[in-house]
Amino acid sequence: MKSTYKILTMGLTTLMVTFLVETGFAQQTPTAQDTLIDRITALEQQAFIQKRGEDHFMFGGLTTFGLVTNKTVNTLGGVSTTTRSSTFGNSSTYEFSPMFLWKHSDKFLMEFEPSFNNDGLSVNWADISYFAAPGLIVRAGYMVLPFGIYNKRLAAGWIDKVATDPTLNLPFSTDYGVEIMGGLPLGDMKWSYDVGVFNGMQLQPDGELMTAGITDNNINKTFSGRVGLLPLSNSALEIGFSALTGKVGNEGSAYANTRTNMYAFDFNFIQPVKPFSVNIKAQYNIMNTDRANYVNPNDTTQSYSYNNHSTSGFAQISVRPAFLNSTLKNFELTYRYAGANSPAMSAWGQNETQSTIGLSYWINWRTVLKVSREIVNTNSTVNPAITPYTGISNSNSWYLQFSIQL
Amino acid sequence: MKTLNKKNIIGILVATVGILLFLSISGCFVSEKVAAKSGAQLWAENCQRCHNMPSPSTFSPDQWEIVGMHMQTRAQLTNQERDKIVDFLKQ
Repeated sequence: MKSTYKILTMGLTTLMVTFLVETGFAQQTPTAQDTLIDRITALEQQAFIQKRGEDHFMFGGLTTFGLVTNKTVNTLGGVSTTTRSSTFGNSSTYEFSPMFLWKHSDKFLMEFEPSFNNDGLSVNWADISYFAAPGLIVRAGYMVLPFGIYNKRLAAGWIDKVATDPTLNLPFSTDYGVEIMGGLPLGDMKWSYDVGVFNGMQLQPDGELMTAGITDNNINKTFSGRVGLLPLSNSALEIGFSALTGKVGNEGSAYANTRTNMYAFDFNFIQPVKPFSVNIKAQYNIMNTDRANYVNPNDTTQSYSYNNHSTSGFAQISVRPAFLNSTLKNFELTYRYAGANSPAMSAWGQNETQSTIGLSYWINWRTVLKVSREIVNTNSTVNPAITPYTGISNSNSWYLQFSIQL
Repeated sequence: MKTLNKKNIIGILVATVGILLFLSISGCFVSEKVAAKSGAQLWAENCQRCHNMPSPSTFSPDQWEIVGMHMQTRAQLTNQERDKIVDFLKQ
């Protein structure tokens, strides 16, 4: 009897212990709701620890890829020569340019854009900007010159509405230097300035100009700047004036005091004419270098001289049915006329006109497929005693180009 | 015609910048009409001066802050324009 009682007592005790243990365990096992709350609490703590700072890094850039087919007819002395080409890679059809932006704080921004294109590996810009005050940004490094609007604002493949660059023939577009810039309100209008000092250009023995590069060829600095005015309250119209001046000769040389002055006028107007959006852009450049006796490239013991004066420019109109509710709104039709006259009677003188018509299909706001047709006519104006006359040339090209902002 | 020399060119630009700076500081500032513009309106007006209007969903809020600084150096936006446009794009 006692043994039976003991067995029953042990059994009941075991059952109670098991019940209590399991009940207690069950109470400690988190429910799905508890798990969720714990997870949210952990994320809140994590977010607090990793709260937003001022230091941010961003990767962007652009790439362009395409095909160009070309037929060029050159006429010299009544004899015409025809050449044809079809290529995937040239200056208008290939570029891969990643861009690195580093916002160091609300005051500093670093920009770096290397580029792989037909020139190999190069750098588009590498600079640091200091946002000193409202309307005042100080920038230093290797940057696009404040001269006109095309190079600084419109040259990117995903912005340019046709496949090629206009033939501006400016001796350089980027340089090492320091600039200040800003945009400021002016009642209903606003205006902007962008002025700086740079290493500048280097005069070649035959009178041509090229960039001086990272080491200046003289102790003089080149001044370049642009002032823009947006007279309409909706910023639809912008007119700009640019000027550049600087000595270009090598220090201590006979050309030490030779100076180049450049000017540019630019225009940008966008207007809805429903259902279309119409955009007109233009830039005109004038470049003068002091007259000098330059070295004859064929006989360095001889000199020659000419009026070292160049002009170039472009005007462009584009129309897009942006206000239609159909696929048509993604198409944009553009016509651009450009021209450049390099110094007559120089070793490289020529007159060039460029006529381009293009149709763009905007896949989205920063991705575009372009078809462009371009006709370029050139007429050599070289000094025939210095350089052989190259005749008249007519170039006819088709471009198929895809461009995207990364 | 006499060619403009360096002093002339610098003088013209400095005088122009000086006059406009004076006008900006001396009370013209921004008109009520312009000050009342929303970020969305400024986004539509300013971006399309050069390119299509960017979609707000393209970048994160932090990235829009960086893009805003970058674009201010490109398009010479005023500070008010940049701040309002970036705030709109961050939404």
